[in-house]
Amino acid sequence: MSLAHLPQRFRLPLAWRWVGDWVWRLEHAFERARAAGRPQDDARIRIFIVTVVFGLAFLVLVIGAAHSAMAGPGKRVGALANPEARGDLVDRNGALLAVDLLHWDLYVDPTVVWDTAATRSALVRALPGIPARRIDKVLAGDKQAFLAGGLTPAEKDALHDLGLPGLVFAEKERRSYPLGQSAAHLIGFSDTGGQGVAGAERALGEPLHAAAGGGQVPLAIDMRVQGVLEDELGKAVAEFNPRGAVGIVTDVHSGEILGLANWPDFDPNRPGASPPDYQKNLAAAAVYEMGSTFKAFTVAIGLDTGVATPQSTFDARTPFKLGYRTIHDYHAAKAILTLVQVFQHSSNIGTAKLAESIGPQRLERYFSGMGLTKRAKVDLIESAQPLTPKKWDDDAVASTSFGHGMNVTPLALTAAYGSLLNGGIAVPLTIKKLPPGARPQGQRVFSEATSAEMLKIMRANVADPIGSGGSANAPGLSVGGKTGTGEKWDPEIRAYSKTKQVSSFAATFPTEGTPADKRYFVLILLDEPHPSARSYGYSTGGWVAAPAAGRVINRIAPYLGVQRHYAPTVAEAPTVVAAGPPVAGDGM
Amino acid sequence: MILSSIFNRRIRGFRLVEVIALSLLLIMMLGVYFAKTSAGGERTRIDQVERQIAAEKSRIRMLDAEVAYLERPRRVGQLATLLQLEPMRADREAAPDSLSAIATRASQNPLYAAPRGKPSALAPPT
Repeated sequence: MSLAHLPQRFRLPLAWRWVGDWVWRLEHAFERARAAGRPQDDARIRIFIVTVVFGLAFLVLVIGAAHSAMAGPGKRVGALANPEARGDLVDRNGALLAVDLLHWDLYVDPTVVWDTAATRSALVRALPGIPARRIDKVLAGDKQAFLAGGLTPAEKDALHDLGLPGLVFAEKERRSYPLGQSAAHLIGFSDTGGQGVAGAERALGEPLHAAAGGGQVPLAIDMRVQGVLEDELGKAVAEFNPRGAVGIVTDVHSGEILGLANWPDFDPNRPGASPPDYQKNLAAAAVYEMGSTFKAFTVAIGLDTGVATPQSTFDARTPFKLGYRTIHDYHAAKAILTLVQVFQHSSNIGTAKLAESIGPQRLERYFSGMGLTKRAKVDLIESAQPLTPKKWDDDAVASTSFGHGMNVTPLALTAAYGSLLNGGIAVPLTIKKLPPGARPQGQRVFSEATSAEMLKIMRANVADPIGSGGSANAPGLSVGGKTGTGEKWDPEIRAYSKTKQVSSFAATFPTEGTPADKRYFVLILLDEPHPSARSYGYSTGGWVAAPAAGRVINRIAPYLGVQRHYAPTVAEAPTVVAAGPPVAGDGM
Repeated sequence: MILSSIFNRRIRGFRLVEVIALSLLLIMMLGVYFAKTSAGGERTRIDQVERQIAAEKSRIRMLDAEVAYLERPRRVGQLATLLQLEPMRADREAAPDSLSAIATRASQNPLYAAPRGKPSALAPPT
């Protein structure tokens, strides 16, 4: 019985049945050969079968060998990826920020050096950065030793052209930062092993390694915006000689960081050449008591909770006692102020009274919603934890309502302002480029109506002559903003210093349109600025930071595609530079 | 029987099946030899071209980095200062759509009008 005669339910596929039948017939042939007394036929057939099987196996190997010999380079195996290699970092327009470039390490093999004295003399001249003692030590050795690393092609060619025997060059990719100090804190740097140490180099380690071999990782930063930001921040630093300075530009809808500048800065090509303090990203890792820029939050919370309307009035004629503090105004208005006037005069008394009505629980809940009580949500690993009140009571309300008693990073302030200006959504900041028009999901903090009202109030603070931010105005760009001057705690006198301040200006443009329209945020912050003659002896935010913010906005608007709109009935300020004596607003 | 005739048939004393098997073996050996030889030559050429491409890419990256270095904002800013250039004033900016309105305004401005009695410098020669 052959396999073909099996019942239907045991039937195998046709091919298997054919093989089975064939084997069956073969076995019958062996049996017949044996029965006929011809065992040699039996052996021959078996040898033939083995030969055929081996022949087929050989054929498979032949085809495989030919295929692998002729396969393209992508199919070749055995090439090990360089674990130190990283992709290029580029800005949102493709400008190069960080790149792996071929460098050479120099080794010296003293056993093949002909003339030690001549070689020593030539190396000392060609490598001025290498101590002569080190060259002597390598030349006096008995085996090949490393002498210098990171030689550029020109340096390598110069050494090679000396024609000295015993010099050995080894190729090595090395991370280079062609922009030098520009955007150094945002780009960061990596160590010689290809591991990111700071900034985007550290935050985006995985995508950078994945892009090794010529791939690119685009950042949100726009080098044109960054250049303007650094230029204007540098001018403000030159004029007011602060201890440190920060400049930030963001898109309030996407949370993309378009520019981030710190002073002092460093060269990521030689990070060790600068003091460690210079490498600190003040925007992400330093916390400050921001002062009156927090009043925008208190006013927005007051509007959002329905505690106040723009027309609500606050008696700022006398100092106000709340908790353990007696609150004064920097420039006492000594008047009953509307909410909008409280904002424009930057009245501590009016803001504290508003905060008292809001209450500590609601104030804390909103501050948490804006991300002010935790480290700023941003890719940068440097993002620091804020210092917040241990207990949200009247004392905390009194202090935090106008930016005291709570230390946050400039990036945290920036993220919080974003939620105020984009329609009320808390969006995380990012250093990565997002697709055009991207609006990441976020948690709603304020209503859209509150956001629209805050845009009007901030615009009035710049456009209205009594506002504290007039010097930030830029023609046709409907700039809005809030000044901030936080007195610094002085441990020596165990009190807030009257001379050491953190002066800032938080600006947005354009304020016209709906909260959903394209909008940008600009922060300029100077730590312990000194007054100049042009600031009439003042070092408050309205005098040291607002003009720089206005100049930045004036220059970056064309790069960001923001059109200037001139209202026919409103005369725009002719320049963005502050001129004339202090205005009624205290510039706090 | 066909199977036994294949095994028993001889050509000049050699079994047909062995001649066929040997011929197939030789063909396959020669095939592998030629495939490997020609692929080896192609491989060498491809490696050469790949090395050239890698060297060119390295050179391009070096030049890109040099361009980025020369165009870094601080250097451009210093050059602008040296050449006494300033950021463009807002009143000098114009959208393409507004150019005709600017031209109309300019033609009505007496500062831009040609002096009376003298032909405009831009007027065609008569």
